Amino acid sequence: MGRVSVEGLCYSYPNTPDLALKDVNLQIDEGEFILLTGPSGCGKTTFCRCLNGLIPHFYSGEMKGDVKIDGLSTRDHPTYELAKHAGLIFQNPDNQIFALTVEKDIAFGLENMGVPKPKMVEEIDWAMSQVGITQLRERGTHELSGGQKQRLTIASILAMRPGVIVMDEPTAFLDPVGAEKIFNVLKTLNKEHGITILLIEHRMDLAVKYCNRIIIFNEGRIVNDGRPRDIFTADATRLIGVGIPRMVELGRRLRQRGYQIEIPLDSDEAYASLSSHLRKQETLKLRGEIEDLNTFVGEYSSKPLIQLKDVTYSYSNVEALKGVSLSINRGEYVAIMGENGAGKTTLVKHFNGLLRPKGGTVTVDNVDVSTKSIATMARKVGLVFQNPDDQLFAEDVEEEISFALRNFGYEEAVIRERVDWALNLLDLERYKKSSPFILSGGERKRVALASILAWNPDVIVLDEPTVGQDYGQKERLKHFLMQLRTQGKTVIIVTHDVEFVAESQPRILLMAQGKVVADGPTKRIMTDAKSLEASSVSPPEVTKLFTKLAPYGFPADVLDVDEAVELLMKKMKRGQK
Amino acid sequence: MSLLEGLRFTRGDSPLHRLDPRVKFLITMVIFALSIIFFDLIPLLLVFTLQIPLILVGRIWREWLKTLKGAAFLAIIIFATNLLSFYFFQGMHLTGATVEYSLTLTLRFLALITSFSLFFLTTSPDKLSLALEKARVPYEFNFAFITAIRFVPVLAEEAQTIMDAQRSRGLELDKGGFLSRIRKYIPVLLPLIVNSIRRSLELAEAMESRAFGATKDRTNFYELRMARIDYVVLIISIAVLVLAIYARLFLPPFPKVMSGIVFV
Repeated sequence: MGRVSVEGLCYSYPNTPDLALKDVNLQIDEGEFILLTGPSGCGKTTFCRCLNGLIPHFYSGEMKGDVKIDGLSTRDHPTYELAKHAGLIFQNPDNQIFALTVEKDIAFGLENMGVPKPKMVEEIDWAMSQVGITQLRERGTHELSGGQKQRLTIASILAMRPGVIVMDEPTAFLDPVGAEKIFNVLKTLNKEHGITILLIEHRMDLAVKYCNRIIIFNEGRIVNDGRPRDIFTADATRLIGVGIPRMVELGRRLRQRGYQIEIPLDSDEAYASLSSHLRKQETLKLRGEIEDLNTFVGEYSSKPLIQLKDVTYSYSNVEALKGVSLSINRGEYVAIMGENGAGKTTLVKHFNGLLRPKGGTVTVDNVDVSTKSIATMARKVGLVFQNPDDQLFAEDVEEEISFALRNFGYEEAVIRERVDWALNLLDLERYKKSSPFILSGGERKRVALASILAWNPDVIVLDEPTVGQDYGQKERLKHFLMQLRTQGKTVIIVTHDVEFVAESQPRILLMAQGKVVADGPTKRIMTDAKSLEASSVSPPEVTKLFTKLAPYGFPADVLDVDEAVELLMKKMKRGQK
Repeated sequence: MSLLEGLRFTRGDSPLHRLDPRVKFLITMVIFALSIIFFDLIPLLLVFTLQIPLILVGRIWREWLKTLKGAAFLAIIIFATNLLSFYFFQGMHLTGATVEYSLTLTLRFLALITSFSLFFLTTSPDKLSLALEKARVPYEFNFAFITAIRFVPVLAEEAQTIMDAQRSRGLELDKGGFLSRIRKYIPVLLPLIVNSIRRSLELAEAMESRAFGATKDRTNFYELRMARIDYVVLIISIAVLVLAIYARLFLPPFPKVMSGIVFV
């Protein structure tokens, strides 16, 4: 069970001449834990569809070569037979939960296979205990949290006892702690039951320590395949622009500078290999306090722009905000972080008046938001939603971007000018006349952003801008946000992505259960273990490492690899060249 | 929409929730029949008031009141149109008999609404689907039915998000005349439709991955089994129906309550 062999696999979707997969060859053995990654559109998802016969049975198009799961050719066996060997779990849990209660949903696959009731009960109990949702047995599926839903989808596949489980970005919507829980479930299944795991992920820092093999796709081909340490130090990987885990990068740079250390995958390994090169030391301080980045970048001013006083809000019976007070200055860069359901999105919907506080006040530029229409406030505060598909509707990109401008009553000449400006800003000119629906995910995200920036709002709020984005797209986004800041814009992001935050160093607002539990510069918040735990955020790997290195005389609040390398080099013994 | 609101199942547990859906459906049908065969105030009042203990047993009185509130407007219309049409057609006379008759019709409407509430408020869609399956409705229809119900909250949430996204781009849904308002819903409906199509494709993929259609002999995790209480209720319901038909056909008609009174 759990073996996959792929030979000479080529595939093109119907009505497209381009090959989505080009001559893929691969052997997977029982019990491997494989991480599959590569830039967006590289063919990873298409490859997964080949593994249980969705290609070629569900998707027509042209397939060449052979895929065998446990010796069964996917060409000769229908998907429902292959499903017992390879279980696919997709990104959005909502679109794969069919029943109204948890146990019934796990039963769905077994019912379809005609498993008799007593056996079914046994399998469901087993699957629930494996992923830790036994107590949710009779719960309605729509009442579950994001993490619980994702665990349910694993249980539902697990109950069918496949030898291979394939997951396509299962943690994209989860907070770091929730994501880690999912990875741990997969690890247990892999270790204790020998189930082969194939995981698609962009967030390398989180996932790398769980796997023992990494396969990198680019433009429909496998470009690299091997042990994580080798893969991430290989030039082929670096050139494609796959995110390199920060600890690997740290190890590589130190080696380049002549230190003989083992390349670490996570902060624990880094600590183990570094501590032998360091001497314990209590007092030495290697640098003075670094000033808040906000004081150097952009037209930062101390004038408050957005002010909230004791804001409360509740949906029909759930209290979402329980007295939030905060003040954001003009030109500031703020990240709102915290566990799923902490009230982050609810909070930002108050900034442009989409939600009116049930108690307390929200003022933007000294105007009480509750007294103005959403359209009036939206001109000041542009809110970019997480999923571009929730707003794209127009015939072409140009019209999409001009939509808001027309709503705000700009003159035709101004509209044309603003649209061109926005197209240019986000590098979208060549799609001016294309339908937004045919663009790729990353491009759609850019169109959505352009459609907000077009009217040049003072404040730009982005809800989860990094979800589902590959390394290159995140890098571009980071630079783009910096660019907005130099124009004096106030930029607010809602995010789970600690590494993104660590490298762009905003002021952080940590939220938990409808309250702001901590507020301050990145360096301070990322070393505030208590508040981080309360809001299910784990610090970036570099910070984790330096927290452990404190007895050696290092400061804990180190966020990025550059600073880490610099600090380490000052203290490491150069002897072992 | 509050009329439909009252018909939405909310999870709960009571003897009524546990009753076999087929038996419960029979109760509803018996009440339906009773409300239809009688034309007099007294029996309809009886039918209506006899349902109240059932509502209490099912602990759904709050939802039931909501339904009644939603139905109130329609009830008033029924009452008023009957009364007025009698009033005008009988030469501007308003007698006790016509008031009684209008009241009876209104009561019949409320009794019917209540009987449907009783059924839908206490029957989970899962059980309903099982009952349909037992009635030999093909599984594909059943599956579509359950899936539709499963996605109501998901779609509602998505519609809200889309509206919020477009409002953030200056769309003012509640401004303008009737036609322009309808046009304003295009930016909301289009993403909703496109997303739904995309979703249906994803759903189909997920179904395939869960061995949908692997065998004709599907098994069922939830099973319907008639308990003793189900048989008892079944027999009582049939007895009530028989008795009522007997009363309607062979007993003298019920006395009119207000026949003596003349209003105008």
